[in-house]
Amino acid sequence: MSVGTAPDRVKYLFIWPAFLVVLTVSLFPLIYALIVSFQAVRLVPPVPPRFVGLDNYAQVLGSGRFWGAMWTTTIIVFVSVALQYVIGFTLALVLHHNVPGAALYRVSFLLPMFLAPVGVALIARMIFHPVLGPVNALITGLGFPTVTFLTDPALAISVLILVEVWQWTPFVVLLMLAGLQGLPAEVFEAARVDNIPVLRRFRDITFPMLLPLSTAVVFIRLIEGYKVVDTAFVLTGGGPGTATETLTLYAYYEGFRKFNIGMTSALSFVFLVVVTIAGTLYLVAAQRLARRYR
Amino acid sequence: METRLYRRIGLVIALGWLFFTLFPLYWVLVTAFKPPLAVSQGATFVPFIDFQPTLQAFADAFAGLRGDFLPPIIASTLVTLTATALSVFFGAMAAYALVRFTFRIKLLAGIAFGVVAIGGFLVLDKVLHVPVPYALGLVLVGGLAVAIVLNRLPLPGPVLVNDDVTFWFVSQRMFPPIVSAFALFLVYAEMRKVGVQMLDSMPGLVLAYTAFGLPFAVWLMRDFFQNVPVEVEEAAMVDNVGRLRIFFQIVVPMATPGIVATSMIVLAFIWNEFLLALLLTSARWQTLPILLAGQSSSRGDEWWAISVAALISILPMIVVAIFLGRMMRSGLLAGSIK
Repeated sequence: MSVGTAPDRVKYLFIWPAFLVVLTVSLFPLIYALIVSFQAVRLVPPVPPRFVGLDNYAQVLGSGRFWGAMWTTTIIVFVSVALQYVIGFTLALVLHHNVPGAALYRVSFLLPMFLAPVGVALIARMIFHPVLGPVNALITGLGFPTVTFLTDPALAISVLILVEVWQWTPFVVLLMLAGLQGLPAEVFEAARVDNIPVLRRFRDITFPMLLPLSTAVVFIRLIEGYKVVDTAFVLTGGGPGTATETLTLYAYYEGFRKFNIGMTSALSFVFLVVVTIAGTLYLVAAQRLARRYR
Repeated sequence: METRLYRRIGLVIALGWLFFTLFPLYWVLVTAFKPPLAVSQGATFVPFIDFQPTLQAFADAFAGLRGDFLPPIIASTLVTLTATALSVFFGAMAAYALVRFTFRIKLLAGIAFGVVAIGGFLVLDKVLHVPVPYALGLVLVGGLAVAIVLNRLPLPGPVLVNDDVTFWFVSQRMFPPIVSAFALFLVYAEMRKVGVQMLDSMPGLVLAYTAFGLPFAVWLMRDFFQNVPVEVEEAAMVDNVGRLRIFFQIVVPMATPGIVATSMIVLAFIWNEFLLALLLTSARWQTLPILLAGQSSSRGDEWWAISVAALISILPMIVVAIFLGRMMRSGLLAGSIK
């Protein structure tokens, strides 16, 4: 097309504002942070910055709290994304086949992902309150002893996972439903004529055809999941102890409670490397899976 | 026969999820109307039967009796609206350029930018002791100048095209936000030392959120512009209408539904954002999520007040969700996932 190839200088006018804003705000400060990560900088008490080489990185990698936070985050992310995908795909299938009242579900199924995670965490705090919450009202009403959800490590992580599933399954529903609606109807018509049972139709047609989309959806959720901080911040504050401390929360505490600036910078870069490696591994694995289905 | 069974299972699943989704929202809604006794004596569920609803919590909240709600609401509204408008405006322009023009950026020029920026900053900061913000500004301009000149030269090596530029924008979202948020906090803190107030200020927040919203805006708007037929623009170009006029008077009106949908999504993301606000504000410009996060520690079990605060943050987003739900039904969002 002639328009696309027109050598037009005005294109720079179109793209430069956005490019400059993202470059200056999101990317450029990283240069400063990278340099800070090789220094010992403390704001409280203020000491002049001193070059320490890889000390900060060694300190991060040698810290048990860092590996604890890594493990916690990984568990939360993998369990919650697996649940989100399975539940979300199921709900998308249900909606796609027009269960009675589909119009009613659509908005309510979409709603949670538009709410502030902080607000959602506050609501969860009320609901799982040991004495005054409705969940414990139900449990004690059935004659069982009170469960202290947020002060038991395993239960606190489960509640965090539950909140993540509540909030982000809608994202999976939204995209998988759009994917289902985009599938060619002829294939399913043919399958119905051939009388292929429903479950096999799903296994042999629907699932493989939606595999690329599934890969993308799970990838986005994994990447987003690793960022989780607001929910843990409000729901448990990382506790009990550091049992629910996620990577971002740990970085925040290092930076803003201990004011250990150099180490926080190093920590965030280690975090970046971890997410990049995990993302690449996932994409490689997903490609293998896709090849098996081809 | 088989279909009917699956239909029934489907209905049960849908109803189950509906209850799971709506119960927490029902809970926060009724709790906002509870008098203190209906909270502190154990769980109560149904208004008028379990407890007598009252508007006291709302009255208290807006009278400023129990912590001031109004400043965060105003700050959130101002910052969100401004940053959304800016990111959708710039994002739409960039997305249009990525759809209709071809860009060729040599990888070597990009690498040169990084080298000049990091090396130049080290020299300015460590050797010449230039204050950090000035040093960063200088190497930004210098690095860009070097990169632009190098891009003109016939350099070897891979050439990045439009898809790579789009990926560059979107990849900003794949970063753990703490990385750039903390870096931005450091730079803002340095700027305060030379007398520029970016921490806890509206310009600082709006700038940060514009950059935060731009990747979404570019990504979503690109898909919408791809569906705008190019013929009208070609006709206008034959008549010698300028590119800017074509964009604002022809393309933007045709892509309005897409712009509205994008604005809604960006708006929701910025309205709910927590980490940047936590790092970049301290008092005056604290946003609603920060106020909310403080509630659980500052109020303990005053759930009626906490619920009011949560409702204030939730209500605008319910409007957004209903609106987008309608658009989704009309198939508008289906195109954006391909």
